[in-house]
Amino acid sequence: MPLFEKTLYSTDFSPLAEVALDYVKKLKEAGEKEVVVVHVVDDLSIELPEGADLLNEKELYKILPEVDQEYVTSLIERLEAVKKILESEGLSVKLYLKYGNIPKQIVEVAKKEKVKLIVMGAHGKGLLTEILLGSVSTDVIRNADCPVLIVKRREEE
Amino acid sequence: MLFEKVLYPFDMRKACLGVKPYILKLKEAGCKEVHMLYVLLPSEWGFVAKEEYDSEDKIEALRGAIDDGYVDGLIRIFRKMKEVAQEFEEKGIKTRVVMIPGELDETIGYYVEEYGIKLVALGVTDESLSFFRVGKVLDIIKAVDSPVLVVKSPEEDGCQQLQ
Repeated sequence: MPLFEKTLYSTDFSPLAEVALDYVKKLKEAGEKEVVVVHVVDDLSIELPEGADLLNEKELYKILPEVDQEYVTSLIERLEAVKKILESEGLSVKLYLKYGNIPKQIVEVAKKEKVKLIVMGAHGKGLLTEILLGSVSTDVIRNADCPVLIVKRREEE
Repeated sequence: MLFEKVLYPFDMRKACLGVKPYILKLKEAGCKEVHMLYVLLPSEWGFVAKEEYDSEDKIEALRGAIDDGYVDGLIRIFRKMKEVAQEFEEKGIKTRVVMIPGELDETIGYYVEEYGIKLVALGVTDESLSFFRVGKVLDIIKAVDSPVLVVKSPEEDGCQQLQ
């Protein structure tokens, strides 16, 4: 059964996201073949259209202030580094660098790519605050069509 | 061994079966043990001594302490869990079936720590993730350090009770 054939790995490049990456790699043993790696930017100095594709829409890149261009370039480099790691594991990889509401974009990419599973990190500490404010992982769990694997590690550890 | 020991909370609703194929598939990624846990909520079962009920004998011993109807109900649930456990056993996954009284999140949190669980696999309904109910699922996620796999089932199917 192709339950883990195509997964979405959402990364914010945090240490917890690196822990989640170990799970993505491990799932290859359970039939995973393709990984869609997603990073969503929501902190540029100018407002872009929701869902803007910062990896492929070159015109958008040009209108960004220099500081944002450097930031986006560094994010692309980090995504490419993740791609290299996963490809070295024998997995096929597709990258997304989106602008907008983080959970909304993760769920939209998951639907577009018809992934079977979303893998992402969730911080334990301060989760109550996140519940009240609406955390990324909560919104993804609630709105995704597919199962979600939340990787946790308490910050105090 | 990221998926070696999986905790599978069981609540007798069809939704909890949605996660079963995923656990079976994880055998290929190193899953060796599944712990099926039914949490006896105080509101449902009244006062039951805080023990790990992992055999019919232990449940039978409750007769006299709690209503016979409750004991019969517990045995019925235990047998259903054993039936599901059989599927894991047949695939070569060692399985423990256990019932523990307590609050859902606290009991799951205790179990994860006590038994070195590597993954909690939760089968839930769409309804349980609605704005007013999502807190229970989040309480479980908050209560454990291990990763949590959440598998959703449509409300109309998932809410039905298992026979």
